[in-house]
Amino acid sequence: MAASAQGDLAYRANFAISLLHSLLNLGAGVAGVLALPWSQVSAINGWDRRGLLALLGVYLVVSALRGLGLGPSLDALAGMDGEVWSGRLDFTLLRPVNTQFLASFRQWRLFTLTDLALGLGVIGAALAQPGEALTAGRLLAFVVALAAGMAILYAALLACAALTFWSPGFMFTWLFDGIFQMARYPVGIYPGWLRLALTWIVPVGLMTTVPAQALTGDLAPGLLIASTGLAFGLVLAASVFFRVALRQYASASS
Amino acid sequence: MTPLGTLNHRGGWALVKSTWTSWLQYRSFFFLLAFGWMLPPLIYLFVWSAAAGAGQVGGLNRGQFVGYYLILILVNQITYAQTNWTVGDVIRSGGLNSWLLRPMPPLYNVLSSELAGKVVYLAFVVPVAAALAVLLRPEVHPAPGGVPLAILATVLAWALRFFWGLWIALLAFWATRADALLAVQDALVFLLAGVVAPVPLLPAALRAVAAYLPFRYMVGFPVEIVTGQLHPAEIATGFALQVAWLAAALILARRVWRAGLRRYSAIGG
Amino acid sequence: MFQPQIAVESLTKIYRVPQRPPGLAAAIASLFRRTTQDVPAVRDVSFTIASGEIVGLIGPNGAGKTTTLKLLSGLLHPTSGSARVADCTPWERRPEFLRRISMVLGNKSQMIWDIPPLDTFRVLGEIYAVPPAEYRATLDELVALLEMEELLTKPVRNFSLGERMKCELVAGLLHRPAVLFLDEPTLGLDVSMQTRLRRFVAEYNRRSGATVILTSHYMADVVALCPRVIVIHHGRLIYDGGLSRLAARLAPFKLLRVTLGEAEAEAEAEVEIEGAEVIERENGRLTLRVRRGNAPAVTAQVLQRLPVADLTVEDPPLEAVIDQIYQGDLTGFHNLSGLEAAR
Repeated sequence: MAASAQGDLAYRANFAISLLHSLLNLGAGVAGVLALPWSQVSAINGWDRRGLLALLGVYLVVSALRGLGLGPSLDALAGMDGEVWSGRLDFTLLRPVNTQFLASFRQWRLFTLTDLALGLGVIGAALAQPGEALTAGRLLAFVVALAAGMAILYAALLACAALTFWSPGFMFTWLFDGIFQMARYPVGIYPGWLRLALTWIVPVGLMTTVPAQALTGDLAPGLLIASTGLAFGLVLAASVFFRVALRQYASASS
Repeated sequence: MTPLGTLNHRGGWALVKSTWTSWLQYRSFFFLLAFGWMLPPLIYLFVWSAAAGAGQVGGLNRGQFVGYYLILILVNQITYAQTNWTVGDVIRSGGLNSWLLRPMPPLYNVLSSELAGKVVYLAFVVPVAAALAVLLRPEVHPAPGGVPLAILATVLAWALRFFWGLWIALLAFWATRADALLAVQDALVFLLAGVVAPVPLLPAALRAVAAYLPFRYMVGFPVEIVTGQLHPAEIATGFALQVAWLAAALILARRVWRAGLRRYSAIGG
Repeated sequence: MFQPQIAVESLTKIYRVPQRPPGLAAAIASLFRRTTQDVPAVRDVSFTIASGEIVGLIGPNGAGKTTTLKLLSGLLHPTSGSARVADCTPWERRPEFLRRISMVLGNKSQMIWDIPPLDTFRVLGEIYAVPPAEYRATLDELVALLEMEELLTKPVRNFSLGERMKCELVAGLLHRPAVLFLDEPTLGLDVSMQTRLRRFVAEYNRRSGATVILTSHYMADVVALCPRVIVIHHGRLIYDGGLSRLAARLAPFKLLRVTLGEAEAEAEAEVEIEGAEVIERENGRLTLRVRRGNAPAVTAQVLQRLPVADLTVEDPPLEAVIDQIYQGDLTGFHNLSGLEAAR
């Protein structure tokens, strides 16, 4: 940790700004999701303030966990810096901001820990709002739903990495990231066709909406079971897919 | 040599055309980028549509929110700043030497990437926005004269965002990485430029801040004009602020360029 | 009045480098106080080059060659001293100056990657405002000299290194610069391509009268192209003159190549000759290094004591000499410093 802190300090200006960015981003996220529609309405499609706060908290927690554990290694493999990409063409002029922001993985980790803490804090704030109290059963359901959601996220990122082997240069992770942004809000917000797509086709809905519903007590047990089952299936499928892609890449590049 | 030193229109224009030809080959890459940038406004389109439901929120109904955000997507793409890559990366990688050796103001290189990029991005965004319009049925009620005013505001918004992005990208002369600063900027644009909510709908405190900072004038302001959300007085003050910020951005860009180049030619590229 | 194409007077460039000492405490301290160190890159360098010359700029890595080139092309401005290139002060970077010079880099490309070179050439023609007739004529001549007609319409990204280098040369010469800076132009190329490029540069110089300054780590480049070399070491100009004279100065010895008669092959095992150093022995062939003055005496000794079938006396290869410079071994230069700066 000392070495990474020192690495940060060496980029003096960048450190100060990174700190500011972290805080500002979190503030913007909170304000953006929380404060604004609420100044005008009290509920959207059945989701009240409490529920949406909980969802925001879950989104931040999921993003942070992704950043801490899964993100960097998979992104490095599949991302613009991966060996699969380099040599084909010099896109240094055109990289999206988020990849470039990864000055170092350790620096990234330092700030994602803060994000995780904030996410948990937001969840805490959500539960403090007037509403049904949290029971042990709900907490358990939440943990299971969150685990299932993380597993599906993992499967999705793995699939993106695998696809990159086949089609290097097509930024699958970037594409997924964009769609993942939609998980800031409950899937109920979106029109019917989009809701279905986000639940069953690219299941970002299952990553945040289901755990949030578990917390607020609105989760149908069937959905939890389906989510867990889907998680298992997708992780399995993605692992197989990845192994196949890896084998093909390894044989092709020799 | 200043960025707008001896003009070389022939060279600049030739560079635009060849950059555009070159980048068109990677359409799918650019289209994917544009898609990613389109998603945040799209998300809020859905959120606010759902919030409005059958009624109204902040004076706008569902159709008007759809219209606001679809136009925002267009304006955002027209004004989006790529300078961190087209300038910042060039400085960091030593490619600036190539620019400095040519008898052409270096700004022309930046402008050529800018124009070429915009053409390619819009080739994706315009059809997609049109398709979404068919799908989502927007409602737009511009005030009389609103459309030409909005077009003017869009041109000024492009210039503002471009030169603002330029001076920040030129910080590459000093800092090896300015990405965090850009990320801060993106967060501010997200919050204050009319993406999270149309600026008139922001809570009072944020609305006041947004009215004075430049970000709203980079994206949201033209959209507010064309969707009829502003009184003529507000439009006038809006233009005044937009022009003021543009002047500030031009001055900043020129100063930073000069100082940066002095440093660059002192310590070597 | 003779007006040199390039005139450099007491050119000095000192870099101010920030210090970043290791350790966490020092890193924190550096947040508040920046300490810098002065690193002289070019020290008091003076020379003049006439129009049409080809001059090699050589020296070990970090000696100041690249800095000198950057100063002459206007990319850097000096700490002190002056320079005139093609009647302009380089670091003012006036358009008329920029139109008269060209820099071709071995490791950086100015071609646009995804379109045929012809398109990049067209753009450069526009940027340098080359009149269409002249553009056509120059392009045709360069393409013919470099034998690259069929490359013109294929995208650059598929080219080999040698083909790319050809494009770089055309790109750099389309506007008929008066001064051409070549920085490691043959870097990474195979031997035949190196030879072709060398021939091209010589021919181009002959035809156009352009002044050429060349830096290269391949001594074959320098030997083939540069009748005159300027040696920079630790930022100072330590030699400016003909290449062969440099070799004579630096390596005041000769090589004796001795082929021994077959029957007496074992005799080589015990040979020891005063004033000579055996630097190679292989298959009945010996190579001895001998100080110039001792050459006749040693030759006589060798003929006397060894069963010689054949003997030749050679100058050491220039490559070896220049390698010495690059190794930083300039023992032969101690008597040169300060006195031999001129031709």
